[in-house]
Amino acid sequence: MLKHRVIPALLLKNAGLVKTLQFKNPKYVGDPINAIRIFNDKEVDELMVLDITASKEQREPNYALIEQFAGECFMPLAYGGGIKTVAQAQQLFSLGVEKVCIQSAALDNPRLVTELAEQFGSQSIIVSLDIKRNWLGKAQLYNATTGKTLAGVWQTQLQALVAAGAGEVLLNAVDKDGTLSGSDLELIRQAREHLEVPLVAVGGISSLSDIKAAVDAGASAVAAGAFFVFHGPHRAVLITYPKYHELENLFKANT
Amino acid sequence: MKPNSNEERAYQQCTRCVMDTTASDITFDEQGVCNYCTEFLERSSHIIHEDPVQKEARLNALVSKIKEAGRGKPYDCIVGVSGGVDSSWTLVEVKRLGLRPLAVHMDNGWNSELAQNNIANLVNTLGVDLYTHVIDWEEYRALMQAFFDADVIDIELLYDNAMLAVNYQQANKYGLKYILAGTNQATEGMRMPPGWNWLKYDKKNIVALARRNGIKSLDTFPAIGIFGYIYYQYFRRNRWLSFLDYLPYNKFYALNELETNYGYKRYPFKHYESIFTRFYQGYILPRKFGVDKRKLHLATLVASNQMTRDEAIKGLEGIPYPTQQGIEADLNYFLKKMHWTRQQLDEYIARPSISHSAYPSEKATWEIFVNIYRSIVKGRYVH
Repeated sequence: MLKHRVIPALLLKNAGLVKTLQFKNPKYVGDPINAIRIFNDKEVDELMVLDITASKEQREPNYALIEQFAGECFMPLAYGGGIKTVAQAQQLFSLGVEKVCIQSAALDNPRLVTELAEQFGSQSIIVSLDIKRNWLGKAQLYNATTGKTLAGVWQTQLQALVAAGAGEVLLNAVDKDGTLSGSDLELIRQAREHLEVPLVAVGGISSLSDIKAAVDAGASAVAAGAFFVFHGPHRAVLITYPKYHELENLFKANT
Repeated sequence: MKPNSNEERAYQQCTRCVMDTTASDITFDEQGVCNYCTEFLERSSHIIHEDPVQKEARLNALVSKIKEAGRGKPYDCIVGVSGGVDSSWTLVEVKRLGLRPLAVHMDNGWNSELAQNNIANLVNTLGVDLYTHVIDWEEYRALMQAFFDADVIDIELLYDNAMLAVNYQQANKYGLKYILAGTNQATEGMRMPPGWNWLKYDKKNIVALARRNGIKSLDTFPAIGIFGYIYYQYFRRNRWLSFLDYLPYNKFYALNELETNYGYKRYPFKHYESIFTRFYQGYILPRKFGVDKRKLHLATLVASNQMTRDEAIKGLEGIPYPTQQGIEADLNYFLKKMHWTRQQLDEYIARPSISHSAYPSEKATWEIFVNIYRSIVKGRYVH
């Protein structure tokens, strides 16, 4: 086992995979089943599928599709998007999903996180926070469904959701999404402070050294999208994943 | 297995290559040598056994022309890549010769990890830019379904046609004259037997089969027809060249070099970079259409002296698949991707095949065009 997980984060729109740029302009990148099969062969440790339109369209997860994903997936699968109730989470777990990722519903109703954690154990509950910087560079909680930033201090929200029972935090740097320009390390450092549960950083990863930098800044695990699906200046779709020994060496150095 | 030719004909295999009576128009001379390898050698010897000095001069002249035509442009040529040996080796040689290729890949939702890995290793090691065209899988699946429902043989017409279209589109986009392809005489120059495939520029056929299944338009599928071909090739002057014909090309040498220097992993059979191609050639073609394409591939390698006849005969033994479990795994994956049941597959395999020409087609137009072209430019080949 590697000291830090490196997780492909796949974005689902309808039945296809897309990749966004700063949460906008979803570009079709392929069939999820084939992508999962390729990641299987690449011996990826964990996979995350996020349905980016479920909450926006106010609908439930696409269970039929997720069942197919779970059936194809050799590695633990985390799913996020449109989960609002304990019953929905229950259904996802029964289909073979190992972790559920909650965002909109958790912000609306932190009690849901507590109920989920009590029922399924906090290790299987991820809360996801989208953070966007305003024109002054100030980090704020962002609601992707409405496209608005939310009032309040995001760290306070984060702490509240962890206190409510989240076993893991997915920290999404909206401005970095799809840019392949490196992580928002400052954000990771701030999130790490006083955080007792694993922190998964996502947004901006473009290289092995970016992964290392995110880990050094305090991320327990790193998720990435564009880095694993795009290649070169034309953003050519090509699925890649670092070799096990490359990641092993990466985390061995000076830690 | 269903015989491809009429049933009375006794089985016979060529004594020089390995082609046999599953090719409906095969004939043999007194020594038992077939017309396939004979025609192949007549047509291709000047390429395969070309004087090395002459060949190099021809290559150098081409390279200078490509460089000249590409001056001031971000790239000077397009190289289509699939992850297979022919296109991979083309890319390696193109770079070695100092050309500046844009690698172009077409993704139809069936790429194997092996293919993706080979492409990634190549473009990274060689420092080549890549462009990928991804066809929406839901659209591609519907088109495949239309081809299955029509019981025509050349399901791969879809991939091949889209691939041709994407290469021409990219060449045109950057104003590039040259598309350097891995197609070649030495390892695949033998003529395809009638009925084993179909005209790859038959957009009309694709559209007709799509309509038949209620598909109104092609959205992300980049089709090309004969007029598209003529437009690109003769008006835009985008030239499609079988690049490996300009080089002494030995598949086994190329494989070794690719493995040693570019982290390449080989496939057990030709064209196995896509999971569907593997399943199509190893399962659908032999069972529904009585066609084993290995014969043609191996016969060509024998005729071009890259393999002995005994080796080829050994290569034909057993199932056209690495392992029996391999078939089962691919079969299940195929069912999952197509949303088919096992029974649907069995019914499809059991139905008789129908010729592409039973549906609207551009083949007749193509033949008229080729004849006119040949009569104007005698002795030259339209690929």
